[in-house]
Amino acid sequence: MMGDWQMMRTEHVALKGTREGLALYLDPELDFSLLMEELRQHLEKSSGFLQGAKVRCFAGENPFEEKQRLELTNVLNKYGLNLTGWFTAKDTGVTLRSQNGQEEDKSKPILDEGMVEGTCVFVDRTMRSGQKVVHSGHVIVQGDVNPGAEIVAGGNIIVLGALRGVAHAGATGERKATVIAFLLTPTQLRIADLVTRAPEDDEEWRGPEIARIKNEQLIVESLVIGGRRGKGKAR
Amino acid sequence: MGEVIVVTSGKGGVGKTTTSANLGTGLAASGHKVVLVDTDIGLRNLDVVLGLENRIVYDIVDVTSGNCRLRQALIKDKRYENMFLLPAAQTKDKTAVNPEQMKQLAQELKAEFEYAVIDCPAGIEQGFRNAIAGADRAVVVTTPEVSAVRDADRIIGLLEAAELYSPKLIINRIRPRMVKRGDMMDINDILDILAIDLLGVVPEDESIVVSTNRGEPAVLDHNSQAGEAYRRITKRIRGEEVPLMDLDVPQGLFDKLKRLVGRR
Repeated sequence: MMGDWQMMRTEHVALKGTREGLALYLDPELDFSLLMEELRQHLEKSSGFLQGAKVRCFAGENPFEEKQRLELTNVLNKYGLNLTGWFTAKDTGVTLRSQNGQEEDKSKPILDEGMVEGTCVFVDRTMRSGQKVVHSGHVIVQGDVNPGAEIVAGGNIIVLGALRGVAHAGATGERKATVIAFLLTPTQLRIADLVTRAPEDDEEWRGPEIARIKNEQLIVESLVIGGRRGKGKAR
Repeated sequence: MGEVIVVTSGKGGVGKTTTSANLGTGLAASGHKVVLVDTDIGLRNLDVVLGLENRIVYDIVDVTSGNCRLRQALIKDKRYENMFLLPAAQTKDKTAVNPEQMKQLAQELKAEFEYAVIDCPAGIEQGFRNAIAGADRAVVVTTPEVSAVRDADRIIGLLEAAELYSPKLIINRIRPRMVKRGDMMDINDILDILAIDLLGVVPEDESIVVSTNRGEPAVLDHNSQAGEAYRRITKRIRGEEVPLMDLDVPQGLFDKLKRLVGRR
């Protein structure tokens, strides 16, 4: 069972962070050249973060011919990814259909609205200048993230202290990713493909804050405790 | 068994050598048997600051490479019988010594001295790794500048990675007037980021320049504010509890009146 959570998903290509590394889903129904074009576009958006990552591919039961596999490997290599293997529906225990919600998977925990599942790294200390954490899932820091330290996460970032360094959430292109910190004054904040900076000389504490993308803009607002984040519209 | 204390900072020019000289001299003045070790191979300074430059025959590289015995390379201080300097080599570079040799040297020094104060070079490369290799405790020196604090933060991270936990912080060259005007980081700003114990705060003091040039550590000068700060730091290293120095800027009459009125 893969702990999967939704990552950037275009029409026929999806890249996900899983417990065993990255998983690339390719729609076997689509014409191969179109598929490669879509993959290129997708990887273009998330370049940088993926350097050196291992990825396994899923493309139905009969994944491509020899020549096509070679082309796929080349495309992945170009963006610094290493193709380490293939898997089929049997390996995942989840069929493409069930992902589309047509087939209920009983073993999956019940997730209500506003709940996300995924792998997670706990950093049980303050991250100092020069220290870096890169993870395909979520990252939680029990301490501060000082200037010069850096977090890159495929999912969300939560800092139970002051975030003064650089944080990149949703680094594989997930625009729904968020960054939460007790004190949010990052050197630089990135979510998916958007970048922002904290205002200069602003260290006044306004309570915990959350950064996320709303209407194509990266915005920071105070974290409303008890608010149902899943129902953003209701606020 | 003695204790090996490394004085480090990451950034150059923040006062590692001055701190090492004053801390060592302060400890010697309190009657401890002390050795100062200069690990800044190729850019040695500690001998100059102590005024012992003209007495060097052998150096640290001679000791680690077996050219001489430790005892031959140790230079006795001109003021204190119980203080010695192990100088750096000037004609070699940092690769002339390795961390393994430094560990062994530290063991030898600990057997003979109560305190060994190691003056670490700037940077995070081999010179730094050599300096911290045999240390039991670390003192991190910073100045109230963003760049120095950033480097101190990096150094604390590297010390932790090398299992030298809970280093102590010295904030050097603070200027109370500038802090009061809001033009300089204050102690709390720095502690907020570095989050380690404060060992002392040393005010900017012109007498340091004079004492460094003369080769007489300020800690012995009872008219020097920085000297007083170093005397307090020395006591804290010995385990005494001493309050921080009062660095308040003298107040004007109006401020005093305002205070009197506002008290009740």
